[in-house]
Amino acid sequence: MSDRLDTAPSDAPAPVPFAMLDGDASAMVCEGDVCYVPAAPVE
Amino acid sequence: MSEPIKIDIWSDIACPWCYIGKRNLEGGISSLGDDAPDVEITYHSFELAPDTPVDFEGSEVDFLAKHKGLPAERVREMLDHVTGVAATAGLDYHFDTLQHTKTLKAHELLHFAKEQGLQLELSERLFRAYFTESRHVGRIDELVELAAEVGLDAEAARESLESGRFAAAVQADIAQAQAYGINGVPFFVIDGKYGVSGAQPSEVFARALSQVADEKAA
Repeated sequence: MSDRLDTAPSDAPAPVPFAMLDGDASAMVCEGDVCYVPAAPVE
Repeated sequence: MSEPIKIDIWSDIACPWCYIGKRNLEGGISSLGDDAPDVEITYHSFELAPDTPVDFEGSEVDFLAKHKGLPAERVREMLDHVTGVAATAGLDYHFDTLQHTKTLKAHELLHFAKEQGLQLELSERLFRAYFTESRHVGRIDELVELAAEVGLDAEAARESLESGRFAAAVQADIAQAQAYGINGVPFFVIDGKYGVSGAQPSEVFARALSQVADEKAA
């Protein structure tokens, strides 16, 4: 793995002043009462 | 001497992965040792479940099973999983006694603490109170006690909560998150240039900070 993190366009609906850094794709986030991996909702 | 790297974090006290992400960020910074850049961390409000009542009668399993319509056993498995990951981050979660509540006032208190220069201390105190100590972080009396524990003036904290002085600041944070397209937390914006979503491992935060520090130095 490179020491440098890649960036990807944000999927935000409006222009944002930052680029998204690609980290661990399995990192969990919470939305409402649900926590999940963004790419694959699991819990 | 360069300016510190700003880290803006959208999170909620009731978000189990936000506390884990906080700890991982701290681990990433400390892993850089003497090479760690100066950072300036600011917490921003993101109320995960605005419809949550201040006082909910029942367990966390009851709450999530009701809201998600999942079998209680499945909810227990999910909470056990989070508890296990939290333990690897050095955190002690107790979902069995956790007091589910609305976090709006906790967010207001975090803004008061920011004004007083004690936001990081209060953030840690509120997370620990909620996930480890099963304190009720939705009631003003309890919040004032926790505020005093980190050195905030109790009466001033109470006044800020009872008057709703920081209610607009909380909503402004939430509106900013919406403008950025932030749907889930934790969400980190590093130096206004890079967004990092989720409770990333410490190594990811360390690499991101090193990268930004290198860019600032170039």
